[in-house]
Amino acid sequence: MGFTDILFGRKRLKEASGERLFALSTARITLETDLGLTPAGTAAVCFKPLSAGEFVRVENELAELVDSAAASSGSKVRRRSDDYGFQWITIEDPDFEDLVTAVHLVGSELQARGFGPQLLASIFRFEGASGSDPVYFIWGYKRGAFWPFVPKGGKEQERDNARELELKAKLERELPIEPDLERWFGMFDAPL
Amino acid sequence: MKRRSFGRDAGLSLRMLLTSGMLGLLYVVFAVVLFNVLSVGLVPMLVIVVGLALFQYFTSAKIALAASGAKVVDRSQAPELHDMVERLCALSDLPKPKIAVIPTDVPNAFATGRSPKHSAVAVTEGLWRRLEQREIEGVLAHELAHIANRDVLVMTLASFFAMLAGLLTRFGLYGGMFGGGDRNREGGAPVWLIIFAVSILTYALSFILIRTISRYREYSADRGAALVTGAPEHLMSALQKISSQMTRIPQRDLRQVEAMNAFFIIPTNVKSSLGELFATHPPMEKRLARLAEISREMGRPVG
Repeated sequence: MGFTDILFGRKRLKEASGERLFALSTARITLETDLGLTPAGTAAVCFKPLSAGEFVRVENELAELVDSAAASSGSKVRRRSDDYGFQWITIEDPDFEDLVTAVHLVGSELQARGFGPQLLASIFRFEGASGSDPVYFIWGYKRGAFWPFVPKGGKEQERDNARELELKAKLERELPIEPDLERWFGMFDAPL
Repeated sequence: MKRRSFGRDAGLSLRMLLTSGMLGLLYVVFAVVLFNVLSVGLVPMLVIVVGLALFQYFTSAKIALAASGAKVVDRSQAPELHDMVERLCALSDLPKPKIAVIPTDVPNAFATGRSPKHSAVAVTEGLWRRLEQREIEGVLAHELAHIANRDVLVMTLASFFAMLAGLLTRFGLYGGMFGGGDRNREGGAPVWLIIFAVSILTYALSFILIRTISRYREYSADRGAALVTGAPEHLMSALQKISSQMTRIPQRDLRQVEAMNAFFIIPTNVKSSLGELFATHPPMEKRLARLAEISREMGRPVG
């Protein structure tokens, strides 16, 4: 039972590129058994707010929508903005399927109201074996694809590129992975 | 004279000569065919072609620097880079070129300029950040070898002929379709069709030949770099790093990039146009194999 079912009683939403987001739910088994990555139970959607009146209204509606949905499915929602001027909706839910569905809801709601171009990315956190760096999967709305992101956690913006390429090699068949490595931009200090 | 310091490779020189010679021959044949078939205003045509070639020759450095977004840096902005280039120039008896930095993550470098005195070397920020000092030295020595070998002059000459062919084709086509109709009344293929076929052939062949010359120049520059630094293994590891997938993954943040691109109006595009130039470079394995050979000649172990 995901967010959308509770809200609208409908099982499927439009938007082709958004559907591929659900590939992450399917790939979860491979992530867990072959790669030892467990979902951390948090994900976030990042978008650029507009100051236009209509966008503010839609954003408020969206906030209400997400809050009420979160209240009924037992997930936690936080909203914040970052130094780059982007808005984040962070969702915490121990059920991974619900998490993906919630992220999809935010994206498709914005898209349905004509603000799809404001969507930048959503990001999912996974924990590796104890002591290793967390692994993130970034879903680029512009690209309709995922790419791995493994920050090294130091002060510098460093990434474990070898690990990222390993993940790409192992997940390529299950996940739509962004083929152009030059577009694998990181999202350092994501609030999750 | 200056080439002496970069060593000689008799076989390579011969092949280079042969390819360039064939290229020249091809254009001569092309011109003869064209002018026997039609006598279109030869003098204005040549004036234009020579003018364009000269323009290309004298502005190549500025155009290349501007096209890549490189910014010339002085000593205070990049002291280490200046030191390194100065050392290498002293070793290879070259005047110091201008030094420029390209603000992209992808490691790459190029040299440009019509003569050693009017040359410039550009390196990307990614090259400086991702490679070790000695590897950067190898790459810079390779670029300086291009300058010493006067590769801009060679390639300008080669593409001059390609430009000539292109212009002649256009003039020829025009003349054939609207002016030279009478000469061909006895039957057979129309003149413009012949010109069209010949120019397509010229284009295809010159394309291949220019690329072949370019690849030979790359081997020469690799050899030059190996001899100047005395350590081909560093250039080898630099080449491997530059070509590796890993260096293509950007280090910047997605939000930063989107903000820079005037948000969503222009699509994010960080692809370096320099990367496309690699098509004119020999395959990495072959370059590495040749460098390993030079390394053996020099009596050094290959890493």
